[in-house]
Amino acid sequence: MSDPVLLQSVERVLEDVCTHESIQAAEQSGWAPEIWQALAGVGLPWLGLDERAGGTGGELGDALEVLRIAGRHALPAPLAETGLLAGWLASGAGLSLGSGPVAPAPVRPDEVLELEGGRLSGRASRVPWARAAERIAALARTGQGWAVALVDPSAATLEPRVNLAGEPRDGLRFDAVEVESWAPAAPGVDPAALQYRGALTRVMLMSGALERMSELTLEYTAERHQFGRPVGRFQAVQQYLVSAAQDAALVGMAGRVAAREAERGPARFEIGAAKLLANRAAHSATRAAHQAHGAMGMTREYPLHHWSRRLWAWRSEYGDELAWSGRLGREVAAAGADALYPTIAGGSAAGSPRDP
Amino acid sequence: MRFEPTELSDAEVALQREVRAFLAEELPRGSFEPGLGMNGAKDPEFSRKLAARGWVGMALPRAYGGGDRSAVERFIVAEELLRWGAPLGHHWVADRQSGPMIHKFGTEAQQRRFLPAICRGELSFSIGMSEPQAGSDLAAVQTRATPVEGGWRVSGTKVWTSGAHYNDWFIVLCRTSDEDDRRDGLSQLLVDLRSDGIEVQPIPFLDGTSHFNQVFLDQVFVPSELLLGRAGAGWQQNASELAYERGGPERWLSTYLVVEQFLRERAGEELDARALELLGTATAQWWGLRQLSLSIARALDGGGAPAVESALVKEMGTRFEQDVLAAVQRLVELEPAAESESLFERLLVAAVLSAPSFTLRGGTNEILRSVAAKGLRT
Repeated sequence: MSDPVLLQSVERVLEDVCTHESIQAAEQSGWAPEIWQALAGVGLPWLGLDERAGGTGGELGDALEVLRIAGRHALPAPLAETGLLAGWLASGAGLSLGSGPVAPAPVRPDEVLELEGGRLSGRASRVPWARAAERIAALARTGQGWAVALVDPSAATLEPRVNLAGEPRDGLRFDAVEVESWAPAAPGVDPAALQYRGALTRVMLMSGALERMSELTLEYTAERHQFGRPVGRFQAVQQYLVSAAQDAALVGMAGRVAAREAERGPARFEIGAAKLLANRAAHSATRAAHQAHGAMGMTREYPLHHWSRRLWAWRSEYGDELAWSGRLGREVAAAGADALYPTIAGGSAAGSPRDP
Repeated sequence: MRFEPTELSDAEVALQREVRAFLAEELPRGSFEPGLGMNGAKDPEFSRKLAARGWVGMALPRAYGGGDRSAVERFIVAEELLRWGAPLGHHWVADRQSGPMIHKFGTEAQQRRFLPAICRGELSFSIGMSEPQAGSDLAAVQTRATPVEGGWRVSGTKVWTSGAHYNDWFIVLCRTSDEDDRRDGLSQLLVDLRSDGIEVQPIPFLDGTSHFNQVFLDQVFVPSELLLGRAGAGWQQNASELAYERGGPERWLSTYLVVEQFLRERAGEELDARALELLGTATAQWWGLRQLSLSIARALDGGGAPAVESALVKEMGTRFEQDVLAAVQRLVELEPAAESESLFERLLVAAVLSAPSFTLRGGTNEILRSVAAKGLRT
């Protein structure tokens, strides 16, 4: 599915820029321009976007795999936001993104922005890295359907906020702000589609974080000795190692299958199911990893928190357990008992002619 | 640890469709009492019909009556039978492990003798591993085979031997010599359950069934041509048998039908938020576990040995089987009765009374975790 050479070079770039110190510093300052420059320098934020829209080409699957690697490194920068979300909104509408970071809005499904006569109004909360964004890509309602508008964030009122991992999630208020440009959204692009796509980006980030957290826990419990042997040799501790590895395997698989299906269509079942599994894993895997780390994991000096806090934060972004289990549950209930197993085995394709 | 995503090819989807059509035709809903996963009833007639379609022993070579089909194809047939609650009890063990074992380690003559009958759905097998003093610690088996003229005399006691009172054969793990390492000196023998010197005593289970037995072997003669594989290599051969056992769809489908039937009997009713949450969550988990399990089957077809992966999936899948059942119990305000007219209630009774076995059979979750943890370290 993905280009291994590309992924290796991404791994190297992120390994260089995402150190324990640089991630801490980015959290302190709220923005790390040098990290952004390193990503932009190799075109990473625009991977998977059409070259005509200022993208660097490549497949959606590549861009999603890159997000998994970003999650592994706890990358403190709007990679998912600029390309896969804002870039997707903008390029679908035929708008050009520019070369700086862009934040998509709104994020929450219950918030609606309105566009009238080229002016944008409404509130958007929890907008990732809005304070550092060169532009906001807003999905807004017009009299004629959904539109995408690019707007300068300094024209909005900004309330600085952060998520549990200290990543910027700012509030924005637009009071009839004049937009830089706007165009009708591509067919099928609406708030629900943005939620699904946002959820898919979080699944990939979370899958990378779960993977790294599992590795870190294995490493730590192999080195840490108590009672004369590595703590990882105790059966009680092994239980946590296995639990963290299971969560990483399950969400890794779910994410990759959802990414594969997203290249073929809306993949709503797979994305919803994957986000639900990732959200649940955020509880169980962080609990296991922290318990296995003991007090060391509670400090900022030791890196576990880069992943555990991000998992707690990302679990509530673009739909928590309640949102996704309710949605999936309603679909399953509506389809009825005879459709249950075909859905489990066939996913979104279960209703297609391939599998009547 | 390595799980590669995979999906069914068009030919595999066609097989899935064929199996679904066969089951809908042969066992329409309402025409039989479905079982829970691999606790499905024993029905030799059904097994023979399934075999006539080429779906028993299907991954064995054509030369021995099999179908040269892949592990993934076997996975597809198994998952459809399990989720339908089909009566697979007669052929299940022979199809899943005894047949592949005999193919892998058996002589040409053994393969010719046993495999075609397995593939016709005729021969049924039990498992002869556990003993009163050898559960998780299998190297502690005390059943002993002593060489005699033309074969062996076997004495000892096997326990938890499912179906020993109605199956045909079992593969007995026994000690043939004493070595420094307890894992050496063990061997596997193919033993006819109707042999002289065998006494089968049922063990009543808490759910009221008596499929499990204690099997006493007293000087049972086993001809030398029924030694499976190499004398003294029983431990290693048996370990590979355990790998066949793990990671398949039977490890996460045991309580599936309880949920499906809940949904069927509540059709047309407005389900509350808690019920929807359970349905959504369980569906996502079945989907995710199935992807992992399918990936293991694909890895087996590619020549891989996904032992750690299988242990991880079995440990997680069997816990899930219990968790989803507990969630259903919390959902319904009901004192379930085995005599109920509601199939959902009857399935619930059967599931509650058998659920503790899910995380025990085929290797306890504690053993699986230690296998997995060892694999994760390397």
